[in-house]
Amino acid sequence: MILKLIIILFFLMLFVGGDRGLTSFFTLVRTVIAFIVNVYLIAWGLPAVLVTLVVSAFLIAGVIYGQNGWNSKMHGAAFSAASIVVIIMVTIGPVLHVAGISGYNEIEQYEEISMYLSANVSISMPAVAVSATVLGVLGAVMDTAVAVSTAVNEVFVNNSEIDRKSLVKSGMTVGKDILGTTVNTLLFAGFGESIMLANLFLKNENTFYEIINSKALFQEISALFVAVMGCLLVIPLASCVTPWFIVRENIKR
Amino acid sequence: MKPVKRKIALIIILLVGTIVACFVYNDAFLYDTTIGRVISVENKLSHEEEGLNGEVERYYDQALGVLILNGKYKGNTIDISNTYTSSGVNDERYRKGTQLLIALNSSGDGGSILEKKRDVYVVMFFVAFIILLVLVSGKHGAVVTVSFIINLILLVFSLKIYDSYGNLLKVTMVVMLLFSVLTLLFAGGLHKKTFAAILSTLLTVLMCSGIYMLTMKTSERIPYEMMDYVVNSKDLADLFLAGTLMGSLGAVMDVSISIAAGVSEVVSKTEGITVRALVSSIREMGYDIMGTMINVLFFTYLSGTIPILVLKIKNGYTLYHLVRFQLVFETICFLIGAIGIVLAIPVSGFFTFMFLGDVRRRYKKIILEKEGGEEDK
Repeated sequence: MILKLIIILFFLMLFVGGDRGLTSFFTLVRTVIAFIVNVYLIAWGLPAVLVTLVVSAFLIAGVIYGQNGWNSKMHGAAFSAASIVVIIMVTIGPVLHVAGISGYNEIEQYEEISMYLSANVSISMPAVAVSATVLGVLGAVMDTAVAVSTAVNEVFVNNSEIDRKSLVKSGMTVGKDILGTTVNTLLFAGFGESIMLANLFLKNENTFYEIINSKALFQEISALFVAVMGCLLVIPLASCVTPWFIVRENIKR
Repeated sequence: MKPVKRKIALIIILLVGTIVACFVYNDAFLYDTTIGRVISVENKLSHEEEGLNGEVERYYDQALGVLILNGKYKGNTIDISNTYTSSGVNDERYRKGTQLLIALNSSGDGGSILEKKRDVYVVMFFVAFIILLVLVSGKHGAVVTVSFIINLILLVFSLKIYDSYGNLLKVTMVVMLLFSVLTLLFAGGLHKKTFAAILSTLLTVLMCSGIYMLTMKTSERIPYEMMDYVVNSKDLADLFLAGTLMGSLGAVMDVSISIAAGVSEVVSKTEGITVRALVSSIREMGYDIMGTMINVLFFTYLSGTIPILVLKIKNGYTLYHLVRFQLVFETICFLIGAIGIVLAIPVSGFFTFMFLGDVRRRYKKIILEKEGGEEDK
């Protein structure tokens, strides 16, 4: 079934996007490979946080430059996306760690899976969980950063006399516009993922207190909230940084 | 919003947020369950075990002194022992200051740990989320928050209805209709292009479910029992379909509203635009959206599976097994979402064009132009 869906997706992308749809498809393939490499490197015992940072850097370069070319506006986007990944890792990572998002949650603990998998893996699961959350941010952050940088560049190309302050402002305006829709995408993806869990809570008639303290719920919503926060943070950063990159390149010329 | 007004709003939210967070941190008196705070910790290496590939896993014993914060035994200190391991797959390491939900024994001098108290963190995330939203996008952020909360209530409500009446797919259809109408009205306002976006969203999701059904019928059975959080095995297939479609709904709405806005912009700016020019500009817009949106979905769906993947690889599972039994659900969700994104581009382009008035006249004009063009040759 997966294979059939992939084939359908491939032809749709080819049909709707033409040559560039094809490029998008191969960028996606690269992303999938990077994801698998990331998982295997962690499983081999390399430190999860470090692996995730390196793979994120690779992914940012691959997706942003791969789809949009090597130029100053994309430097701005790549720089801000990378900074956000580091910032989230440093600030929200410890919070997630303290709150305890790793390992089996209270529901999985009683499922078969936890019985027959050996838990003696000597890999720090808290680090893996934090890395996974940070990686989940990456897509949305790159999307937003590219959109903001492209818009700022567009304004600059049309009016090269414009001062840096108004450039920053127009970046923020565009950022706000895309924000609502990106948040919706993340939100509904979260809804779709947690529908099983929500159903389970209802069927088991858990109390509100049990639900709000549950690790299962926290694992689901932390990914969602962190992704949205990443998106929010990248808008001002990309708006401020991109003009700097663009103007600098212009002066060089 | 004016900067001053925004500053005031921000300060109010910050204040309320801090108060709420402090309240939740000290809300032990609200709980029926016993709450305790860890006040002393003593860790001791207990033993080492060897993993499947010769890894060394350390097991530690923790002696925790826990101060009880509510109930009959408030103020007492009890001792609880806990075990944790260096990888923490199946256990939790508790630190000083952690609050715990505890099942006390009847005499009140001992007990076992039920769960970490996480409500503070949930509230903290929510407050941080709202503050950032208002800080970055002002009034727009408030609208997003309101639509978020309404949608959340709708979701819980619909699951309740399903719980009592059954027939999930019907409930899902109705709820998705409500979701898309509400969300798009919030995002786009009362405007023709909003209706175009709503129609195209619904049609695209319908097409997605058609594709899903078609490929499902012609392929081998999906191992639904392997899903997370299975309760009863009766309508797992329906639940999965509902989750998949709901997951793709957000992305499809996103694309629809963007294309609708773009097309209406182009149509209003260029008098008498030809169909061919419009198609090429839709393609252009579509390409910009397509690649990045599909990436967003990929990371959202698949990054959550990393911990279990790592664990399974460590236990000797092959990539083939992982894709077939572990990743299959996330992958199908992702692929249906991606197909939805790509489909939404031409569909919403078509609907917006149809909706933006004067279609017949415009069409006539196009035919005239074409004839004119041919005559010129």
